[in-house]
Amino acid sequence: MCFNSFFFLFFFMLINYFFFVYFIMNGLSVFFEWEIISFNSMSIVMSILLDWMSLLFMMFVSLISSVVIFYSKSYMNSELNLNRFIILVLMFVFSMVLLIISPNLISILLGWDGLGLISYCLVIYYQNLKSYNAGMLTALSNRIGDVMILMVICWVMNYGSWNYIFYFDFMKNDYVMFIISFMIIIAAMTKSAQIPFSSWLPAAMAAPTPVSALVHSSTLVTAGVYLLIRFNYLLIDMFFFKVLLFLSILTMFMSGISANYEFDLKKIIALSTLSQLGLMMSILSLGFPDIAFFHLLTHAMFKALLFMCAGVIIHMMNDIQDIRYMGGLSLYIPLTSLCLNISNLSLCGIPFLSGFYSKDLILEMVSFNSFNLMVFILFYLSTGLTVFYTFRLIMYVMINDFNLMMIYNLYDEDYIMLNSMFVLLFMSLLSGSFLSWFIFSYPYMIYLPFNLKLMVIYVSILGSILGFMVSNMGIYSLNKLLLSYNLSSFLCLMWFMPNLSTYGLSYIYLNFSQILFKNIDMGWSEIYSGKGIFNILKNYSVFYNIYQMNNFKIYLFSFILWFMILFIFFFI
Amino acid sequence: MNNNSNKMFFLFILFFSTLISISSNSWFGCWIGLEINLLSFIPLISNSKNLLSVETSLKYFLTQSLASINFLFMILIKFSLLKNFNMNNIISIMMNSSLLMKMGSAPFHFWFPNIVEGLSWMNNFMLMTWQKISPMILLSYYFNKNFLIFMIIMNLIIGSLGGLNQTSLRKLLAFSSINNLGWMIFSIMISENLWLFYFLIYSMMIFMMISLFFLMNMYFMNQLFINNMNFFIKLNLLINFLSLGGLPPFMGFMPKWIIINFLLINKFYFLTFIFMMTSLIIIYYYIRIIYSSFMFNYFKMKWVNLLMKNNMSLINLSSFISISSMILSTFIFM
Repeated sequence: MCFNSFFFLFFFMLINYFFFVYFIMNGLSVFFEWEIISFNSMSIVMSILLDWMSLLFMMFVSLISSVVIFYSKSYMNSELNLNRFIILVLMFVFSMVLLIISPNLISILLGWDGLGLISYCLVIYYQNLKSYNAGMLTALSNRIGDVMILMVICWVMNYGSWNYIFYFDFMKNDYVMFIISFMIIIAAMTKSAQIPFSSWLPAAMAAPTPVSALVHSSTLVTAGVYLLIRFNYLLIDMFFFKVLLFLSILTMFMSGISANYEFDLKKIIALSTLSQLGLMMSILSLGFPDIAFFHLLTHAMFKALLFMCAGVIIHMMNDIQDIRYMGGLSLYIPLTSLCLNISNLSLCGIPFLSGFYSKDLILEMVSFNSFNLMVFILFYLSTGLTVFYTFRLIMYVMINDFNLMMIYNLYDEDYIMLNSMFVLLFMSLLSGSFLSWFIFSYPYMIYLPFNLKLMVIYVSILGSILGFMVSNMGIYSLNKLLLSYNLSSFLCLMWFMPNLSTYGLSYIYLNFSQILFKNIDMGWSEIYSGKGIFNILKNYSVFYNIYQMNNFKIYLFSFILWFMILFIFFFI
Repeated sequence: MNNNSNKMFFLFILFFSTLISISSNSWFGCWIGLEINLLSFIPLISNSKNLLSVETSLKYFLTQSLASINFLFMILIKFSLLKNFNMNNIISIMMNSSLLMKMGSAPFHFWFPNIVEGLSWMNNFMLMTWQKISPMILLSYYFNKNFLIFMIIMNLIIGSLGGLNQTSLRKLLAFSSINNLGWMIFSIMISENLWLFYFLIYSMMIFMMISLFFLMNMYFMNQLFINNMNFFIKLNLLINFLSLGGLPPFMGFMPKWIIINFLLINKFYFLTFIFMMTSLIIIYYYIRIIYSSFMFNYFKMKWVNLLMKNNMSLINLSSFISISSMILSTFIFM
């Protein structure tokens, strides 16, 4: 099953690649349309839009998913129901493809809801309590986005068609478009885990690692960004984009800080994904959708690679995800640490790896156009924080001493996992330049002063030095850390926002429902409808039986008596 | 008297007597038909080897003859004193009362569960279905609407409440028959065609149930789940009980639906409420019967083995009819 789906998806990726090259070179786009039902004034059509953006995204999605399925053949080989897992992953890919190719709100809804549902099924795949809680948090946060898209479908009925790409440019100043744009932005924010809804992404790390590599690094969380890229012409001068800018740079900043306090390997990577998502959303809200798309694609490559390396390390460390037990792994697992290092450095934006092209372009565009001081500061600060937690991770995992056991055998020669990582390694090295040659038909004009140009390098060096220093914690540093306990817990727990989504929402309602259950369901409702009516009926029936079990002559005599009474009335 | 030609003879006279009673153009002819009905039914149910069935036939004779005498008396009063004028309501009440007693309808129904307890299943089937035809049609010739509506309400309530405390299957079906009598009296007040429709479907459902009980030789509730029945027999039992209770999409829902339609259009709201609520109680005790034998945690005794090798096609056919009649009827009566 794994091999078949791997080959199928890889072949699909090649088809998409060739079509992408052909379409972008000739500036083509193809639109298929099939009208399913036509109501009075609306018609439900199933449409497929194939332009270079959707083909490119489909190519990346199918590449990552084929590699992840191949990887999970070895990673999940002790799983009894592996077929179920592969089928879920394939259904996820199908929903994503449906989302990518649809210019129509109804098919976007199908893909969007499918993504939410299947990511729930995949997060709860290991059926323990933590996975259940994480799955519930994931599903309900995504559900808010689904509701928003449903309401958008209702509101868009004002325009007579659900194919939004046709009438965006013409209806921008309408009141209805105002509401629609608000809801679309909320939907994208829930899917891409921006600030009010950001608690589900670190929690969803309870999923198996291949799922995290596919879903939470490149496809599910970028669905929101992709939706906003499609809706970009609508939203570009609106007030909501400014709100989105504010929230996304705060997301970027907050998750960068929180990743520095984390000791769980997958949570660090999740928070780094969150930070890069904030980066994508913020550059999108500044008005550069193609750069956001570019960063989306390169980020997908190296983040999926990073998750897969984390999976190999977790397998090797006997299923321990805590980085304090790891150390010095670069000596023992050279190929995996090669992939880990390259993806980490690409994340930091080291020159000429793939992340450099997109991140550096983003930072230079932010510096070149005149924006807010806060925007500027938070962008560069978050870049520095990225380098900070990356170097801290590298120090903990690769360089310091090994902390788990006295006698150890660290084995990474599992060539199925390694081969899948090599594919992504190749793409992670080259996709930056390859995409920049394809997507941008002419380069952006950027003219910066010297120090501003080198600002990236300054914050990167600063971040790396801080990362090195922080990773040298010892036993004696615990006392000094207690001085800043309040601040640390605030920054570490994502500024206490998960409590908003979990405990804060449920406490009042669960209390109230307990009162209702005790008083009504097990109280009055039993007397007035459940057992009470049964008792009444039973007593009536018992009472009736007294009349039924009687002497036969009395029945006959009562009949005669009735007639005598009627006779009297007759003759009155 | 088991399976001999006497039975055939008396059955023929029984059928003929109902036809006499229905198709006469004078009240005398009706009374004659009723008397012949009584006289030919008694030999069918009495069996001199069994003391219980003798007692049962005696009770049946006493009640039915009392009712017939009253019926004759009221006919004569109507002819002689009132010159066949339809003005006086009391006479219609008295004639209806005697006919209601012949049918076994409340408030003159007390003989009905007793007698049903003493008869075999096939005799019960005759009593519950065929014996009701001529009194109902005679009822439709001269009825008092207010009196009859009051009787309907009493029928419904007594039929539902009386059956709650029963464990004998025959008495259960007797009370259900009393309840269905309420529906049937109301339908005959609407139109005779509708009554015919309700009566046919009711007798079909009763036939399916009684034939099942007869083949399995079951007379009491605990016999339903001590036996080791085939799955399809239990399924058939479930479907037929639910159909008898009037649950859609089974067959028994259709006549009740039409009657409720009429009730609501003509604004009989209180009566609708009583019809609904008593149906609910009836379905409750049907479900209670099959619950232990069919649902999740049923009792399965292994030492009683009921082999139903023949007549499986009849059971499958009856299940099929019960389930699909409503939908198929829309194809036929398009």
